[in-house]
Amino acid sequence: MSALTFTLKTPPKFTLNVAPLIPENLEGKTLAKIKTIKLIYGNETVKVDALFSMKGTDSSHICLDKSTDKLINVGQKMTRGSIFIKGDVGDFLGQGMKNGKIIVDGNTGAWAGNAMSGGRIDIHGNALDYVGAGAPGDTFGMTNGLINIKGNAGDRVGDRMRRGIIIIQGKSGNYCGSRIHAGTIIVLDKVGKLPGEGMRRGTIILAKKPAHLSATFKSCGNLKMQFLRLLFTQLANIDDELALFSKYGPEAHRFSGDLARNGKGEILILQHYK
Amino acid sequence: MKINGVQIDDTFAEAFPMKATRIIITAMTLKWAYRAANAIRGFASSVIACGIEADIERELKPSETPDGRPGISVMIFAMSTKDLEKHVATRVGQSVMTTATTACYSGLESEQTVSIGKSLRFFGDGYQISKVVNGRRFWRIPVMHGEFICEESTGVTKAIGGGNFLVLAKTARHGLAACEKAVDEIQKLPGVITAFPGGVVGSGSKVGSKYKFLTASTNEAYCPTLKGQVKSELTDEIGSVLEIVIDGLDEDSINQAMRVGIKAACSFGLAKGICRISAGNYGGNLGPHLFHLRKLLK
Repeated sequence: MSALTFTLKTPPKFTLNVAPLIPENLEGKTLAKIKTIKLIYGNETVKVDALFSMKGTDSSHICLDKSTDKLINVGQKMTRGSIFIKGDVGDFLGQGMKNGKIIVDGNTGAWAGNAMSGGRIDIHGNALDYVGAGAPGDTFGMTNGLINIKGNAGDRVGDRMRRGIIIIQGKSGNYCGSRIHAGTIIVLDKVGKLPGEGMRRGTIILAKKPAHLSATFKSCGNLKMQFLRLLFTQLANIDDELALFSKYGPEAHRFSGDLARNGKGEILILQHYK
Repeated sequence: MKINGVQIDDTFAEAFPMKATRIIITAMTLKWAYRAANAIRGFASSVIACGIEADIERELKPSETPDGRPGISVMIFAMSTKDLEKHVATRVGQSVMTTATTACYSGLESEQTVSIGKSLRFFGDGYQISKVVNGRRFWRIPVMHGEFICEESTGVTKAIGGGNFLVLAKTARHGLAACEKAVDEIQKLPGVITAFPGGVVGSGSKVGSKYKFLTASTNEAYCPTLKGQVKSELTDEIGSVLEIVIDGLDEDSINQAMRVGIKAACSFGLAKGICRISAGNYGGNLGPHLFHLRKLLK
């Protein structure tokens, strides 16, 4: 069976909420039935076939072709299967997803992985602000799962996250890991100002020394962190996308903080590669 | 039936259901992983008085362990999940966590689990950190050597304990040589352990005793010094009986281990003082798993 593919007929002018296009919603439905599913487009409601041409039958594997940043809420609350996005995608990618996998062969808008509680998001391009963060009013950001960004990420990555892992292989913006309750954020290139600002617990792992670190972080010295050895070994064993972690070693400069909160978080600045 | 002149008795080993788990101990070097593993398997020869039976299953290469360091796989057997729950965390806490540079992980996936880090984390006195990586929860406990990493729990599975065979020899020296070789061969197999010291039992027991407070006592029918005193199973030429007890994850594992072990012992032959191979059973009253010697050697 080939993946159920939705190809945009023309680039949308307004934001298009494609939240209904998730595997569990489409399972068991015929193409004719799927074509009649209603989507919110700008301030009106349209049927799927007004915007997309469709092919394929395997609804557990969905492909969005010729996607643009106007498509929002892709993979919202999905619990299984996979969504592959060719092109860019808009805000709230994988919002509240519980399981399954989303792969974006392009860039994403803000709030990717917002409130996700499981599953995995792979972004081959860049992501805007608030990756894995909690929306205004939420107590927590992501509570589990894994987000892997090959490019750069914007500000406030993982804001208020509770659990899970965010990997940014490129650069991260300011306030990375702000107010996190727990969880792990890894940035393999430069990070912006004040990482970990207001963090309660959790771990921020930086491959490069940050330009500005808050005075409310205290140095614990250079250490061989057994946890890093475990983490990198486990990540490298997940799949080829994360195999690069096999080259990272356990040596790190540990800073504990944010002492303005309860100081049980940590920033680990990697010292050198294996 | 004879192998290399050694008579195989027409009898069976009687085994009973147990619960088992497997843990993986890693350390900076294999030497220190062994020290922790040897500590945890100390005083774990029999559930009769130790609570659990435990032994090293095998060495693990760095590529086989969760943290990429050299490791040891240890299997632990008990009569119930409750017993495992009680003993595993205690032993890991006192034997593994106290050994320098070690970490302890689950070596068995199962829905039913017993806690390791879930109990030991409190040693961190509030500074412990929980991490979920790849769906597995680990505890980072700050200790004086750095960090003790311990998985939240380890899986529990149904298992079988008490697979056995007896090596009846002219002297203890003859019997021990054959048993050492048998144990060496059994230890190459996955999923089985021989929990007694060196894998060999010098004082095999029977169920019950004339004393009401004892649940097990000496198996007088196989004691050479009592040959003329009791209804003995031993003939004149037999001067020593040693037992190899095998715990395993399933019947197939124990079958294979007994087969390999008996053949190794028999390789010494009658010429080197090995007279008979027998097995411990209690008329089918002890457990539901029966391992017929002649059947498994066919």
